[in-house]
Amino acid sequence: MQVVEELVAAQDTSFRAVQRQLALHLFGTATSAGSDAALDAFISASEPPRLSEATLIESGPMRSRKVPGEPEVRFAAFLDGTQSSRIARYSGGIALIHGTVAAVVRARRDRRMVTWESPIIRHGLYAPRKHLDRATNEALDRTGIHVVDTSIDDAGPGLAVHPFALRDAAINRVRRAREAVEQKLAEQWCENEHDPLFIDGGLSGSERVAVSASSVGVVKSHRTLYAEGTALQTVLALEAGERSSVFRIAPAKRVPVASWYLRLRDAHARDPMWGLVRVEIAHPVRADEPRIGERADEVSRWILAEASPLSIPDARWDKMVYGVRDCEEFLEAIT
Amino acid sequence: MTNDLQNDRQQPRVLGRVVATERRPNTPHEFHFWTALDSPVGIGTIVRVDGGTPVNGVIPHIYGIVVEGFSYTDLQTPLHDVLGHDGSPSAAAHAPTQRTEIRLYTAAVLRQMPEEPLQPVPMGEVSLANDDDVSVALRMDGYLKEGSRTGIPIGVYRAGGTDAPIYLDADFLLGPEAAHLNISGVSGLATKTSAVEWILSSVFAHFPAQKGSVASVCFNVKGPDLCFLDQAGDIDDADRALYEKCGVEPEPFENVRYYAPFKADGFTLNTLRSNEALSENVLPLTWGLREVLQYAEVLLNKDDVDAKADALIDFIRERVVDREFSDPDLLGAKRHLVRSFADLEVWFRDVLSAVERTNKESWRTHHVATIRKVRNRLSNISTRCAGLVTDAGTVSDLPFGSFEDRTVYVIDVASLEEDAQDLIFARVVTKLREHLEKRDLGVNHVVVFVDELNKYAPGDGQDTYVRKMLLDLAERGRYLGLVLFSAQQFRSQVHRRVVGNSGTALYGRMDADELATPGYAVLSPAVKTKLATLEKGQLMVRHPHFTQPIFVRFPRPAVMRGRDGVERFPQASDLSLDAAILRSLRTLDPSITINAVQELLMLHDEQDVIRARNATMREQPKDVLKFFRSQLRPLIAAQPVIRQVAAPIKSAPGDDPYGF
Repeated sequence: MQVVEELVAAQDTSFRAVQRQLALHLFGTATSAGSDAALDAFISASEPPRLSEATLIESGPMRSRKVPGEPEVRFAAFLDGTQSSRIARYSGGIALIHGTVAAVVRARRDRRMVTWESPIIRHGLYAPRKHLDRATNEALDRTGIHVVDTSIDDAGPGLAVHPFALRDAAINRVRRAREAVEQKLAEQWCENEHDPLFIDGGLSGSERVAVSASSVGVVKSHRTLYAEGTALQTVLALEAGERSSVFRIAPAKRVPVASWYLRLRDAHARDPMWGLVRVEIAHPVRADEPRIGERADEVSRWILAEASPLSIPDARWDKMVYGVRDCEEFLEAIT
Repeated sequence: MTNDLQNDRQQPRVLGRVVATERRPNTPHEFHFWTALDSPVGIGTIVRVDGGTPVNGVIPHIYGIVVEGFSYTDLQTPLHDVLGHDGSPSAAAHAPTQRTEIRLYTAAVLRQMPEEPLQPVPMGEVSLANDDDVSVALRMDGYLKEGSRTGIPIGVYRAGGTDAPIYLDADFLLGPEAAHLNISGVSGLATKTSAVEWILSSVFAHFPAQKGSVASVCFNVKGPDLCFLDQAGDIDDADRALYEKCGVEPEPFENVRYYAPFKADGFTLNTLRSNEALSENVLPLTWGLREVLQYAEVLLNKDDVDAKADALIDFIRERVVDREFSDPDLLGAKRHLVRSFADLEVWFRDVLSAVERTNKESWRTHHVATIRKVRNRLSNISTRCAGLVTDAGTVSDLPFGSFEDRTVYVIDVASLEEDAQDLIFARVVTKLREHLEKRDLGVNHVVVFVDELNKYAPGDGQDTYVRKMLLDLAERGRYLGLVLFSAQQFRSQVHRRVVGNSGTALYGRMDADELATPGYAVLSPAVKTKLATLEKGQLMVRHPHFTQPIFVRFPRPAVMRGRDGVERFPQASDLSLDAAILRSLRTLDPSITINAVQELLMLHDEQDVIRARNATMREQPKDVLKFFRSQLRPLIAAQPVIRQVAAPIKSAPGDDPYGF
């Protein structure tokens, strides 16, 4: 297995190595040591929850539909990515963040998971260069470390200089980097393979992936719910093995996709979101729209087949399939 | 497949990778590695680790043997699996993905190259050991060099594509560096006896010429186990391949001689090898007074042989047996020549009669009660060991002084009483030792095989002569070339000094209770499990050159199994005296007829005939029948008895019917 390590070849870009480099080159400047704590949890928890209205593709109002037939094993592979952000050093109270992103496709052969092609790992130092003093910027250049300027996200003169705002901007850049490597692998799959790929997350970030018949996105987080009023009640009341009507998601500047909610496990006496996932597939052409329900049933059967084995001990095991957990375990081992 | 194997030999296929964590680090004597799920690695597999970083300019190579294995998945508790399959085990088969699983092994280090500096095993790639690696790992390269080769094949190590013969060092198997071999295992799996038979074949085939000659004395202690060593047995192609790999001809032993005492009748050999077709190399084993008296303490327990009795026995041995004895004060002019138990009985009777007649309480400081006690015990020996010990003093013994190279001498004691077995062990081993000390046995090395060591050298119980003798053999034998190959079911119940002095130890399938004893504490649970489930034809070997036990396969011995032998050569029914005499004499002269024997037997009593037969067998004359006839007591011509008619006192009148 060949791992694609990008950005700084032939240089140790691990967190500790970067910390050492910074300590060496920023010696004598107004800096202080960083922290081992992962920052990624801050940003995901801080996204505001919201409801969004969606247009139904399937005929009739939003309703629950029993997925017909037996679960069917069809997914040939699973794709997931990870990100890790830690403060390598502070400079003038601003966090210089070491970010690592990685993605992998794990293919299933004889019921065992193996790595498809090469996983991608990228390391980088995320720093708002406009807010750093000159000496620090020059020192960063001398380190040879690849620095991602997080200040390019700044908009207008009212630049947010609150350290947390800068930190969040950096973490968002790391997330985008993670999405980029995931999309890169997903595009490779869609170009080269025809079997279905289970993607952890949405499809709409990449047009090539979003229109492919072999990609299926499964979203576990529900900070945004695509239903309101009675439709929302219908979604939250889905029983195990039931799906909602199919609707269209068409975010601005992104490719529209067909989506529906699917309950993987019995949520009786549990959180209404328990075992609930949202599925995304390529939006059908107009002529195929009447058959979107059949397609949703088919893909739902594939996803329901992945309910076993459990991905315990992951806390999200109610929504996470084992293939995705395997991707995460794999990436944790190599990053 | 062949090409694959060849490629493997040229460049070993990587099977695993060494791993170490802070909680489970590698050490200089142990390391851990993982493999693919389908790798051929198992408990007992020998592997090679190629280090990545040179030490003193040399890439380290580490050889190890797998002693423990672990397998687990990413499952945190079994309950999660139950939940995941809704409590239905059959549902698990439908899961589209199998959980990530690991095969993690622990290996004990056999050897590190270079040996200095001795460091913890480094991270590196793990591959199966090939033939050359096995040789280096087990330090066999030291004694397999051309010109000074002392390797004795004991079996074949087999793993993956590797099929490597394993050699013991003759210097450590038959002395002088170390010696002796002990084998343990449960009964009934044809492992212990078969292994010893195979190893003897291997020793005879590979014992280095520069180390001299070697013979074996085997005690057949149960059934027909060793009764057909000269007959070919059934072996299959797999066995033949093992023989070929080890360089041993799959043939039965060429030179075997059997010895067995007679039954109580004095003329039928007490052995299961009594079929006439096999009688050619079966010889009687009989001893007289002189042979037995030296080992009287074997047969007499401590209550019998107190200091007073011992003194009298010494007196008899030194002053009475085999010399003319007279005591004018007590016995007057009468002289005794004591050469047999019968002579000794006469001597005792005369002495006691004379002592009683003179109303003395003692004779030559020996109390009359002691004399009676010793008489009772010694006279009893020929009864207790009837067939082995003869009243008449006839001796038929092993050829001490003319032992032959690569010859097996089997002594069948399976049907004897315990006393007689003990006597045979004691005398034969002592005689072997005496002759080896004097270097006049006929061979330089003798392998003595004793089965059922639990019985003859137990770890507890009272000290017996046989146990002392076996201890002496185990502790001093290697200097003399007297080597003990022993076997038992429970090693833990054998005297520690006997098994402890065995340089080489073999283990067949073991009983779980036995494996739970402290003697096996050094073995890992996995190795114990393997021992408890070992197949027929597999052994675990410990040898001074091997730093860890090794598992090998050995072929079935190319000799007829005891059970097969008994079926093919049924035991002869008890013979009549004339048939027994004929069979004995025919081994010397096949032309002798039953009529000739019967003619002689009609004229002589049974004891006389047996004595003459024994003398003939001992002498082995050219003219057998003539010599046999000459040994019979001469016949005295019968005298006609003339009846004396007594004269009447007075004649009765002819007409007096009452005779008054």
